[in-house]
Amino acid sequence: MTQEPYGDPVSLLRSVLADLARAAYGLLGHHADAEDAVQNGCFKLITAWPRVAGLATPGEQRAYLIRIVLNEALQILRDPHRRWEHLGPDAAERAVTLYSVTQHSFEDEIQSKEDLRLVWKAIGDMPDMRRDAVLLRAAGYEYRDISTRLGIKVSTVRSHISDARKQLSRTLPRGWEGRR
Amino acid sequence: MSTGISPGEHGDVLHRLYQQGKRRATQVPEFDAEKVMGRARAAHDAGAVNFWTVLNPAERSAFESAARKQAFAPGTALMREGEHADAVMVILDGWAKVCLDEDGRERVITERGPGDLIGESGTVPGNVRSATMIALDTVQALVMRTEDYTALIADFPGVPDLVKKQTYDRRTGRP
Repeated sequence: MTQEPYGDPVSLLRSVLADLARAAYGLLGHHADAEDAVQNGCFKLITAWPRVAGLATPGEQRAYLIRIVLNEALQILRDPHRRWEHLGPDAAERAVTLYSVTQHSFEDEIQSKEDLRLVWKAIGDMPDMRRDAVLLRAAGYEYRDISTRLGIKVSTVRSHISDARKQLSRTLPRGWEGRR
Repeated sequence: MSTGISPGEHGDVLHRLYQQGKRRATQVPEFDAEKVMGRARAAHDAGAVNFWTVLNPAERSAFESAARKQAFAPGTALMREGEHADAVMVILDGWAKVCLDEDGRERVITERGPGDLIGESGTVPGNVRSATMIALDTVQALVMRTEDYTALIADFPGVPDLVKKQTYDRRTGRP
């Protein structure tokens, strides 16, 4: 892979697009939402290009774009008008995943949706690098992969995730975990 | 229904999201870089559209000769919600707020300023104003009767595209 920084937004996008799709889809679980996140990220990339072009390495440029798209995905997740059915074909499964419910009522679904919003809000309020590491983790990435994508040490990723986990456990309502 | 995850085992929310993300990694959609970037670029370019400044000289002078200049003092209405839409305007100078009446309370949606075409959604016959516009300072505007605007559009087929671009720009909230 070239060590020269990318000279235009399309070459940068092409080199990192598979990752962007995976991260956005991992978080959103919905094809059109994932595409929106990537496209909105590209919109910001075009605006910021004079600055991104000046970054020293292609790795920093890739990390920049990944981070923008992660945050665009987070915006979509935090949209209060995003309906439950927009969470994708595995929405019901998600409710189950979060609660391990054996039988869930409409109220349970609404409640888990509210709780999820608390989770995304808490993640959104985290310091930049921790938030981005957490978002990649939530998208299904391993520590090592998060480390290479963001250009930070594995041990740093580990401590970000561990801190975030503690923070999230304080954020969620009591009794969240075993709710049935 | 069983999830294969027993409560308490890797029970934290982040771990559950991670597992969900990993499952989704097997169904990641493929995007086309050129297409995605093309759309982002179009949205970006649309954001730069200012109706008055992108008209070509012929379109601008046709617009000027079919319109009359009017000044609105601060606090006066350029148009009112529910009224018959009989004119379109281009703001040449000054700013106006766009507001809706919500149970007697005013809700400001956005602001419009120099170069913006306003009231064009009233060009559909029988249409009424969807919002009220109040001058925030002295607003100088070119005011054109709706039927003259419709005739102008027929003479200059490029204008509707510019209007659409401006509309897109507003819907997407671009500056």
